[in-house]
Amino acid sequence: MELDAIAEPELERIAKLGGADLVVGVLYPQRAEETNGTGNAVLPMIREALAELPKVARTVVVCNNGAVPITTDDESLPVVSCSFAPPGPTESPQQRVFSAYRTVLKTGGQIGARGCAFIVSPSQSATHHWISRLLQPVLELGFDLVAPRYTRHKMEGLLNRSILAPLHRALYGQQLHNPMGPDFGLSGKLAQRVLVQAPRSNPLASMASAAASGAFQICETHLGARIQESTDWTNLSSLLAEVLGPVFLEIEKQASLWQSLRGSRPLPAFGSSGPLSEDGQTVDTRPMIESFHLGAQNLSDVWGLFLPPTTLLELRKLSRLPADQFRMPDELWVRIVYDFALGHRLRTVNRDHLLRSITPLYLGWIASYALEMAAAGPLEVESGLERLSRAYETNKAYLVSRWRWPDRFNP
Amino acid sequence: MWEQVRQALSHSMIRMLSQLASLLPGIIALVAALLVAALFAWALAIILRRSLAGIDFDRRVVQAGFPAEWSPSKSPTLLVTRAVAWTVMLVGFLVGISAFDLDLTSQLVARLFNYLPNVLAAVVVLIAGGLIARFLARSVLIGAVNLNLQYARLLSIGVKWLVTVLAVTIAIEHLGIGGGIIRLAFGILFGGIVLALALAVGLGSKELVSRSLDREANKASTQNVQEPIGHL
Repeated sequence: MELDAIAEPELERIAKLGGADLVVGVLYPQRAEETNGTGNAVLPMIREALAELPKVARTVVVCNNGAVPITTDDESLPVVSCSFAPPGPTESPQQRVFSAYRTVLKTGGQIGARGCAFIVSPSQSATHHWISRLLQPVLELGFDLVAPRYTRHKMEGLLNRSILAPLHRALYGQQLHNPMGPDFGLSGKLAQRVLVQAPRSNPLASMASAAASGAFQICETHLGARIQESTDWTNLSSLLAEVLGPVFLEIEKQASLWQSLRGSRPLPAFGSSGPLSEDGQTVDTRPMIESFHLGAQNLSDVWGLFLPPTTLLELRKLSRLPADQFRMPDELWVRIVYDFALGHRLRTVNRDHLLRSITPLYLGWIASYALEMAAAGPLEVESGLERLSRAYETNKAYLVSRWRWPDRFNP
Repeated sequence: MWEQVRQALSHSMIRMLSQLASLLPGIIALVAALLVAALFAWALAIILRRSLAGIDFDRRVVQAGFPAEWSPSKSPTLLVTRAVAWTVMLVGFLVGISAFDLDLTSQLVARLFNYLPNVLAAVVVLIAGGLIARFLARSVLIGAVNLNLQYARLLSIGVKWLVTVLAVTIAIEHLGIGGGIIRLAFGILFGGIVLALALAVGLGSKELVSRSLDREANKASTQNVQEPIGHL
């Protein structure tokens, strides 16, 4: 969705304003019961958030309100109403959200906003505090990127915990817990940079790396628990391809930057993590291990095109282990991720095939993690994830070496 | 009478030997032309391979989107050098053939050039068919594994052979070999496969297929129950 998707009267209202301090994008799809005719559940939430931000004069809101237009007589809170049609046959809901991000960024650019906030998490978890917490560091402390920190159970955010966060930490040297948000606060300067740097690609994958590549101030803010959308297991490979594809492209773009960086540092964080409800649910790892075995039986030819022989051997050994002893070593998983990133860059196999073929390996990692953390408390989980992040950092030399000399013999 | 037979045999022997002797220079010329062409092809291949390695041809071609795995030994350079070398060998063969008889050569060349578009079209169809077969086979394999289908490999091989057989049939049709028989054979084969599948689903393996589909559906629903897991 681009700016031309915004209705003409709304564009005129933006032009009349002559500028605004903030753009708030509420991008989760709202249900009919949340949009009640002329009003909307979003507007009171934003008014409450703005009450906590005294220096803000004017705000534009971009809403994903479906077919119901939002109207308000309050000139201090103009609302740009966008309709998000249901995804077409070739477009996934994920891709619709990516283009919605671009709409908010472009709106911010057009009105010269000082800051943008993106609320993508469902309304059951997002509150007005989220908006103010994401914007306060931008407006009052001069930060350019405010990334979210969520209170999570041990089996939540696993793609983020297994790949996105430790990969970002190892490559860019910043201990960011959620580099792909999805809820963010951005300064106008960084929003412009993201638009210039990634005019067509996925802005969500570019935000943290764009901030890391420039002299931008980054911080995190605790937002509390985030309610998860239910996982569509039959489309897990599509989700992985949609998320990892842009991340690997970004790694390729920023290669000159991350190759020279070593180590990592924690980032300033605001707020405190809220209490976590009891995490009593157990996970049945059997189907995941079966998926891993099926992948190891059938996909070794495909993996062999970009994974080195030692990794394939390790995977074969792993597939022979009994289910209760199934453990994927951190180093093996890290090297797999690095080799997938390298294979994506070298195009040794069709990129979509490469990205989708990671699914059984990812399920294998989840099974291993679930078995290892079955009886673990929050501290043990944190220390396990810290160990994984360190493995990413330690093995960065492997990635750098293979990135620079991909043809060199690699047993 | 025996003398006449002996004379007739002797004359036929002399005639045959003289005809063979008249062919000998042509055969020697053909062998020489082939040897020279082989030497030239070998030298040209070495020069070409070094030049292409110098400009990092393999990497550039792969970066341009040509998958390296589709070339012999995963090297587009090897593909180009082999193609050039075999073209030189073909030219050498034509030069050698022309040493036999000018009329025969001109007729041969004319027929060859008339037939060449068909050969080229068949080669293009075969290459495209091979690429499509491999791409589809891999797509099906990865998709089926991700859907937890135990017969993923079988599905993938089935798709690969189906596309390959289709490509070969089209190529043979272009070459004008077999005519209606190929079409008929392909129709019977393809129709047979489709009919077998239809029967498997509809009649003979109804229960097996339904059990298999049930198992897959149960797997998906079992996994859907695992709601504590979130990815992003």
